Parts: sequence; structure tokens; C-alpha cells
Amino acid sequence: MYFRCKNCGGNTVYSPERHGMYCPHCGTEDSGQRTESGSGELTVCPNCGGEVPVQIHTSATQCPYCDSYLILNERVEGRYAPQMMIPFQVGKEACKQSIREKFRRCLFAPTDFLSEVRLDSMQGIYVPYWFYDYDAACDFQGEGTKVRVWSSGDKQYTETSFYSIRRSMDINFEKIPVDASEQMPDDVMDLIAPFNYTQMGDFSPEYMSGFYGEKYNMDSGVVENRARQLMNEDALKLLRESYAGYSTVKTIHQDMRVRDSRATYGLLPIWKYVYRYKEQEYPFYVNGQTGKIVGTAPVSAGKVWAYAGTLWASLTAVMVLVRILLGLL
Amino acid sequence: MENDYKKEAGRQYLRYFRIWFAAIAILAAVCAGLGAVRSKGKDIERTNMEAPEERVYDYADVLTEEEEEKLREHIGKAERRLGVDIVVVTINYSVEGQDAKERYGLRYTNWEWNMQDIADDFWDQNRFGYDKGFEGNGILLLHNWYTGQNGEHISTSGSVERAFSASDINRVLDAVDRYYDTDPYRAYRAYVDKAEELLEGSGLSIPWPVVVFLPVFVAVVYAVSHLSQSKAQNTTAVNAYVAGGKPEFRDKTDMFLRKSVVTRKIQTSSGSSGGGGHSGGGGHHRSSSGASHGGGSRRH
Repeated sequence: MYFRCKNCGGNTVYSPERHGMYCPHCGTEDSGQRTESGSGELTVCPNCGGEVPVQIHTSATQCPYCDSYLILNERVEGRYAPQMMIPFQVGKEACKQSIREKFRRCLFAPTDFLSEVRLDSMQGIYVPYWFYDYDAACDFQGEGTKVRVWSSGDKQYTETSFYSIRRSMDINFEKIPVDASEQMPDDVMDLIAPFNYTQMGDFSPEYMSGFYGEKYNMDSGVVENRARQLMNEDALKLLRESYAGYSTVKTIHQDMRVRDSRATYGLLPIWKYVYRYKEQEYPFYVNGQTGKIVGTAPVSAGKVWAYAGTLWASLTAVMVLVRILLGLL
Repeated sequence: MENDYKKEAGRQYLRYFRIWFAAIAILAAVCAGLGAVRSKGKDIERTNMEAPEERVYDYADVLTEEEEEKLREHIGKAERRLGVDIVVVTINYSVEGQDAKERYGLRYTNWEWNMQDIADDFWDQNRFGYDKGFEGNGILLLHNWYTGQNGEHISTSGSVERAFSASDINRVLDAVDRYYDTDPYRAYRAYVDKAEELLEGSGLSIPWPVVVFLPVFVAVVYAVSHLSQSKAQNTTAVNAYVAGGKPEFRDKTDMFLRKSVVTRKIQTSSGSSGGGGHSGGGGHHRSSSGASHGGGSRRH
């Protein structure tokens, strides 16, 4: 499918800035009309009939001939129908500005790293995620000590008090996100969180027009261990916080049980910018909702030498001159 | 477009180092100004006419005639600038033990005391001192080349005695010791230069190893710290996915079990520590003629 402007026939897209559909050709808002492909073939553009290169997991892409944004029906429907999504809240211009702000002070980045042409190649992608809900319970038994030290006369006293610590807690986790994309690096997807779930809504294909997208390519059972690990870590941290006042705590018994769990499929918005420098790719990811940036800038060896060398020369010059000055005083 | 980015990079570079470049320019200007003022300064007029003109007494014959002449010239320039007499004396005879005491009419059998005595007496008897013949301004280096008793003594008088601390005396001796066994002329020239540097300067200086290595260290740390960047910070709160933001506790019991107390006697340190400090150069004393001198010795 794709969205055609009722006014001029152009391709309408979702605008994060306007929080709605608009036509970039005639500027009309909310004029998009869902238009289905006549041929029904996945790789044929319903607008111009051109052959569209479609990757195995692609759910939304752009026609290389007419630039229309296409949404592949069978990859957003049926078993691949997302149950929820957060639409892009940060537009491309705002995203470029955030990247410029963050890396402006990165002195050793190559000169054209933040160039308009390079940043313009940034793509907005709806990344498939599994969201896990857990109804868990945790029991803990341990022995804690509190130590008090004081002095009187020429003697020092160390008093150690021993306590029995018992904790039983119910803890419900909601929507622990784990990306279901083989292409997206796990560490980056973990760092790009958190997302604000108050803007999470039902899936609607209009939100995908103007962006790229993927269907899930890893089942919920395959990636669930990452959610479980995060759940365990967070639950134990909260448990430890509850007995933080002790000097030492010895664990006698600890048990964590999951009583109920559920996985839901959804899409989250992420901007991706790939900078190629000296035959190496430097990918940057920006949270399409919060604007948080994950990535490291490439380093230009020439700039490193120029700056470090100048610093060395300047410091040496200052010290030599100070030495001369001290001799003259 | 490409040129614009190069220009922007150039501007960024200049902006980044502007304080450094300004500091270098200001320091260079101040140094040049002060240097010009100093070079135009007039020589100090000599007021003591009792002392001989000779400044290099090479009794040990370790210098060539040419070296002696060059050293005299070098000393002469420094003396006029500083207003102090600078004397070099080399000897080659034993100044230690009973035999030496009797043979040369020395007052002591101790090497260091005799070196001090000889240096002070040489100064006093020749009535050295730029401004006057008794307790006048100046410095004398006595170098004994006698086998097994090789070493130097620095004797200071007048303004030099007042200006030189023990560490200054040691610095002068360090300068001599760097070259004495390979090139005596260079060693005595270093003695004149170091004395001049200490008398002319504020006494404060940045050692050359610091000047050379500190900037290298700073530049390396700077480069390394800018090369290492983290992708991003983990900003997800521990309770970000917990319903209601916190767990519900069914049981939260802390029950006191027992208590133990350990007593320890506090050790107090008593008495005073102290070490026999080595009071080397700079030590003030009176010579046999009653004149006040400073100085210090070093035996190899």
C-alpha cells in the first residue's frame, strides 16, 4: 500500500513535527488516501510500477524511481501485524540538529562528518520489538550487620549488631523492550532506551509512510532471555535497595519466580545515520521519540596529530618562555 | 562546500588554541622587552682596587693557556654585569691528615675544614670583593686535584653569601661535577654560568626535564582522552519497566539477633623523630681573619 494525496496525487507522509499526515508536494494536511497495489506483487511499486528492491524483512521502503514510500501489506498484517507502536516524534531536521550539537565538540571527527549532505542520508526506521510483561515474585532471607565505632579514653570500641533480614515482594514488569531485528546491534538497542510509553498507541500504517520499516525477524522465544536477564537484574537491584542501610549482608536464601508472562509485538522509531570513513562504517542511532543518540564519531588521525602536536608545542613554548622570564627577573 | 568545512575546521582550530597563542605572544613580548632592558643596563662600577686582576689561579695546571684566557674573559664579563668577584683556584696537594697538616702548616687534619680554610684565606689575603677588600661581594671555587682527595669547595662572601642558600651552593657544585672529570674548562665555565644564573635570576626555575617531558605527557593524555568515547550512557532507570515504579513488599522484616563489641587499645606515638640533617653548603662561618663566609664542599 501507499498513501496518495487526494488533492494532488502525490505521496503523503507522516510528519513528526505536525503529528499527522501531509503532502510534501502540495502541502495539504490529512489528505492521504490509502491506495493498494494493482498487481498485488510485493516488489512492484503501486505508484509507478517500477521494480522495488525489497529485503527479506523489509516492511516499509521507498521506491527508487518515484520516491514514494511503500508499506508492504503482508509484512504488517496477519502474524506480522504490530499490536502497538510509538510514531516518530523527532523529525529529520531536529535529529540532524541533535547530532550536530552532540558532536560539535568532537574535535577529532573528520571535517565533513556533520555536513548537510552526509546527514541528509539519515533514515527513519520502525524497528520491530518484543515487549515482555512479567508477573514475578521474589523472596529473600539474609543476615545483615551494622557496625558502630567509638572511642573512649585510650580505647576504641567496635560494636557489630546482627539482624535477620526477610523480604518478600511482588514485582510486575511491563513492556521490557527487546529488539526483534537481526540487523540492529543489541548493545545499541539497549542503550537507545528508554522510550516513553505514554505515547505508545495502536499500530496504524499511516505512521509508516515516510519511513523505512522491518517486520520481526526473531521470534519472541529466541530473544526473551535478554528480557529475563534485565528483569532479574532490575528486581535484584530493587531488592538490594530495600536493605541498603546495612554494612554487610550475607545471603542465606534467594528465590525469584515468574508467575505469568506475555510477549507483545510492536514498533519503535529509530533514526539511523551511517558515516563511511576510510572504508569503515560508523553507524549512529537516534531515538526517534526522545532524540537520545548512540554512536561514536570516527577519528581523523590528521586532526589528532594537529591538535595534540599544537598542544605539545604550545605548552613547551610557554614553559621555555616562563623559564627565560624567571631567569630575567 | 568541502572548502567551507575546511575553513570552519581552521577557524575551530584557531578558536580552540587562541588562549595558548595569546599567552605565548604575551610571554614572548615580555621576555623580549625585559631582555632588551637588561642588555642596555650599564656595567656595575668596581670600587675595590686592592684585589689583584687575576681570577684564574690554576696551580694544578689542569687548563691550557688558551683556556685560562677564555675563562678570564668570561669571568670578566660576568663580574661587570653582576658586581661580584668570581675566582677559580685549582691545587694539587694533600690537605688531609697529620702529615699534610705539618707539611703545609694547615690548621686541621680534616679535608673539608682545610679546604674551607684555604678557600677563605685565599679570598681574604688577596682582598677579593667587587665592592671592598673585606667581606666584599664575590664567590670562589677551590678545586683540589690531589689523587684520592679530589673535590671542590665554594666560598662565598658579601652579597653572594647572603643570596646563596645551601641548595644554591649544591647547584653550583652540581654544575661543576657534571664536567670536571672530562673537561675542566667546561666545568669552571659552568661554575661561572650557574653562579650568574642564580645571582641574576629570581631563584625560581623550571628544570629542563620538566620542560621536555611534561608537554609530551600532557599531549599524549590529551590525545588518548579524546580518542576514547563511549557510545552513550545507559539512562534507563532501574524501575523504568516496573509497574507503579516500585515492587510491592509482602514481607519486610528486620529482626535484631545479637550484638558483639570488640575493644582495642589505641596506640599513641610518642617521642620525636628527627634526623641528623646534613648541613652542607650555605653554612655561615668566620675565617681565620675574622671575615664572614658562606660555602660548602663536595669530595669525590
